[in-house]
Amino acid sequence: MADTVAGEVSTDDLLAWVRAFARLVEENREALTELDAAIGDADHGANMHRGTTAALAAVDGAPPASPGALAKKVGMTLVSTVGGASGPLYGTFFLRVGTALGDAATATPAEVVAALRAGIEGVVARGRAEAGDKTMVDALTPAVAAAEEALAAGRSWTEALTAAAGAAAAGRDATTAMVARKGRASYLGERSAGHQDPGATSAALLLAAAAETLLGRGAAGST
Amino acid sequence: MTDTGAAGARVGIVVVSHSRALAEAAVGLAAEMVSGRDARIAVAAGLDETTFGTDAVRIAAAVEEVDDGDGVVVLMDVGSALLSAEMALELLPDEVRDRVVLSPAPLVEGLLVASVVAAGGADRAEVAAEARAALLAKDTQLDTVPAEEPAPAAEGHLTGSFVVANPHGLHARPAARLVAEVRRRDADVALRNLTTGAGPVPAGSLSRVATLGALRGHEVEVSATGREARAAVDGVLALAARSFDEVAVPGPAADESATTPSAGPVATSPGVAVGPAVRLTTAPVRVDERPAGPPEAEERRLTDALAAVRRDVERTRDRTAPGQAGVFEAHLLLLDDAELTGAARTGIEAGVSAAGAWARAVSALEAQWAALPDPYLRARAADVRAVGDQVLRALAGEAPVQAVDVDGVLLADDLTPAQAGGLDPGRVLGVALAGGSPTSHAAILVRSLGIPAVVAAGAGLLDVPDGTPLVVDGTAGRVLVDPPTGVVAGYRTRQRELADERARDAAEAPREAVTRDGRRVVVGANVGSVADARAAATAGADGAGLVRTEILFLDRDRPPTAEEQEREYLAVLDAFAGRPVTIRTLDVGGDKPLRYLPQPPEANPFLGVRGVRLSLTRPDLLRTQLAAVCRAAARGPVRVMVPMVSVVEEVLAVRRLLTEAAAPGPVPAGLRVGVMVEVPAVALNVEAFLPHVDFLSIGTNDLTQYTLAAERGHPALAALADPLDPAVLRLVGETASRAAGRATVSVCGEVAADPLAVPVLVGLGVQELSVAPSAVAGTKAAVRRLDSGACVELARRCLAATGAAEVRALVRAAQDAPPSA
Repeated sequence: MADTVAGEVSTDDLLAWVRAFARLVEENREALTELDAAIGDADHGANMHRGTTAALAAVDGAPPASPGALAKKVGMTLVSTVGGASGPLYGTFFLRVGTALGDAATATPAEVVAALRAGIEGVVARGRAEAGDKTMVDALTPAVAAAEEALAAGRSWTEALTAAAGAAAAGRDATTAMVARKGRASYLGERSAGHQDPGATSAALLLAAAAETLLGRGAAGST
Repeated sequence: MTDTGAAGARVGIVVVSHSRALAEAAVGLAAEMVSGRDARIAVAAGLDETTFGTDAVRIAAAVEEVDDGDGVVVLMDVGSALLSAEMALELLPDEVRDRVVLSPAPLVEGLLVASVVAAGGADRAEVAAEARAALLAKDTQLDTVPAEEPAPAAEGHLTGSFVVANPHGLHARPAARLVAEVRRRDADVALRNLTTGAGPVPAGSLSRVATLGALRGHEVEVSATGREARAAVDGVLALAARSFDEVAVPGPAADESATTPSAGPVATSPGVAVGPAVRLTTAPVRVDERPAGPPEAEERRLTDALAAVRRDVERTRDRTAPGQAGVFEAHLLLLDDAELTGAARTGIEAGVSAAGAWARAVSALEAQWAALPDPYLRARAADVRAVGDQVLRALAGEAPVQAVDVDGVLLADDLTPAQAGGLDPGRVLGVALAGGSPTSHAAILVRSLGIPAVVAAGAGLLDVPDGTPLVVDGTAGRVLVDPPTGVVAGYRTRQRELADERARDAAEAPREAVTRDGRRVVVGANVGSVADARAAATAGADGAGLVRTEILFLDRDRPPTAEEQEREYLAVLDAFAGRPVTIRTLDVGGDKPLRYLPQPPEANPFLGVRGVRLSLTRPDLLRTQLAAVCRAAARGPVRVMVPMVSVVEEVLAVRRLLTEAAAPGPVPAGLRVGVMVEVPAVALNVEAFLPHVDFLSIGTNDLTQYTLAAERGHPALAALADPLDPAVLRLVGETASRAAGRATVSVCGEVAADPLAVPVLVGLGVQELSVAPSAVAGTKAAVRRLDSGACVELARRCLAATGAAEVRALVRAAQDAPPSA
């Protein structure tokens, strides 16, 4: 948009992120369900698809006035439409992100990362999951830590987002070896090891979507 | 109501569930309890009428709907219901949130109690407390039965119990069946002897199961956790209800009193033996505790020895009639027993030699068994010792099976199952054991070999000098030491009649086997070594219908060279002196991986990468083997046979490799190429194969396994895996009739030596049979008694039979009928 300050994240950017996330979830719907079938109740793909489709529809036509308002709207929609545990978890994530972003028309990279940190803290508080419990936290936590480190080291927004997406993917992969301690997979105990966690997988998609969309904006701003 | 209610509160209730139908039905139940009174209940369940899910926004709205200022109790079902309810709290205004209680009560019970209590005007803390107590009431009600149920019934455990019905309790064979059943399941299963309090022990460990000392009448508890816990418990209970598939031992052994050792010579295997006494003494195995190398090397030696003995036991098992093979299954389980091998490996790590560590582990386990109160179970310590000694011998480099090579009447204290199973009925005329019992594995095996035997003859028997004339009457249960000549003469006459028949068969064996109406049936032998080949040639085999080459490939770090293989094949060819030899290419799979051919573990190796499937993944190995076959074929009548073929492409691929292997020369003109018919698909699609093969060899063991989907050697499926099942016979018939005149059809499974099967196979059009060397003479004799026209008619009726039992009945009826019929 013409009124966007270079290097800052606008409502449109956030909308693009949500759109990319919805697309990735749609593309990976079957894969997510298959992962969930192995250690859960085989509904993660369908649930996330329903939720992200509804969330996108809620904000696509008439985007809220600010990135923060958009994130809140997405969060509330997810809460009401996902159905499974991912509803309150992703819902909390976006609601906390929205609250942290406030009413400002744009956000700096540092503000976005701080908002993601608030989102993760909300997820951890909601699900009472810790790192290593084989949940979405295992993808989100290293991702935000990577972004924070990159920015603290003075690296570009591009590098920070790429690092975050990479760390999320690595965190997702690491869940394969873990034994689930939260959610339905925990009923399986040791037998949950050897299966990639579906929640961490969709969380990695969320970060991949962020890198794909916000990165373009940031890259333009950093040159 | 209003008066008491004025002082009381009006607490609202919210029902959170994944399913709207569930929530509404629960509310319906609750409404009946409080009929006429005002229950403020709201439902927040499902994303819509039919979509499962929970929605925090909807929950928050429901709370606001029923909140009248006195607060709300929220009841939830599982999983996301909690997260969504917690999230809903955040969505509520602070003053409302403060008066909401999320209740951990079970949904239905909690809702019923909560609605009654709430309608009675209780405040929200009371309502929540009563709801929570709802499950306690249910507990109390049910706990009247399992009130003092201890830990095993804790969460996640499924339990059941059975009473042991087997006459000798849960001894090795039933225990082995139980262990096998449990190991099939993805579950942790434990057993406890409720009668004695022994245990719990892991049900997957044969050694530990035996230490339960579970005798007839004892009650045993099964508890399981894990994905297949239910199936595991049910499986064990079903097995127990079938007495662990233990078949009552026929003959005198069925009489339990006969197991009393003092009963004196007990007949265990009918028939008469007359001959010189030969005593069997077993030298103990020497064990050197000093390791020959580092622990890794010692551990490797142990692993190799275990593998060697496992193969050996499997071989013995495969030679044994299915009903009697259970003891070898038990031995195999002992070889895989994590407790036993684990203890040995711990010893090795502590610096003891493989032999020393193994011997200690075996002694410890043997002592554990020997200390059991029941004499029968105590005797099972012998199984541990037998297996333990076998492994020690393998470690010492001795012959893995201690063959009992005697000519005469064998006298011994007792025999190990391996010794008994390895007896040569052609040389061991009879068996007299000082100890043992009719139910001992040795006795059962000796009977299955048809060797006359008595057991429990008393220690005095061992004082009889070698060479003393002996009569063993395995029918009456008598041992006569140096009896009067008249008595001997009588026994000899009876014995001679039987021996004459055997001798006639043996003498006739080298001649071709021709039916009474002149149809030739080739009877070859299945061999696995040069020694086998010599024995088979001596026994009169018309060549080798199957040369197993696996022995060349096992137990080594690299595959055999073409030269090495060629030497072996030529030696087999020489043994048969011009008679044809059929070499089967390497037939292994994931169940017995080769060191130089690592295979990932497969869930079902018999449906996995094996036989030609494996060979085609390593064409270099197959090409080398085919090169050796080509060189041997230049020197004599050689055929090459490909195992586990399913599709024509596999044959074409092998033929291409054969051409490459023969290069620079052509493929030897006399080399005939065939495939094994083991996969039903080949029998059903045989026309497609015929243009590419010179012969078809039906491996009935695997064909039966795959046709009836019944694992070979599975103790519980022996009755199902019957090669005389009409379905298997149809596949044989289809193969033989389509191939007639275009390719030779042979049968190389065990059924080829079954006197009941021979007429059916001949009638179906099978031209060649290949049997164990010891069965050659008998099989040829069986062929000579046949009329091929009658066989065709018999086979026709067998194909229409409803099952294997009817097939057998038809064959027996035909054999009893006059030959002219």
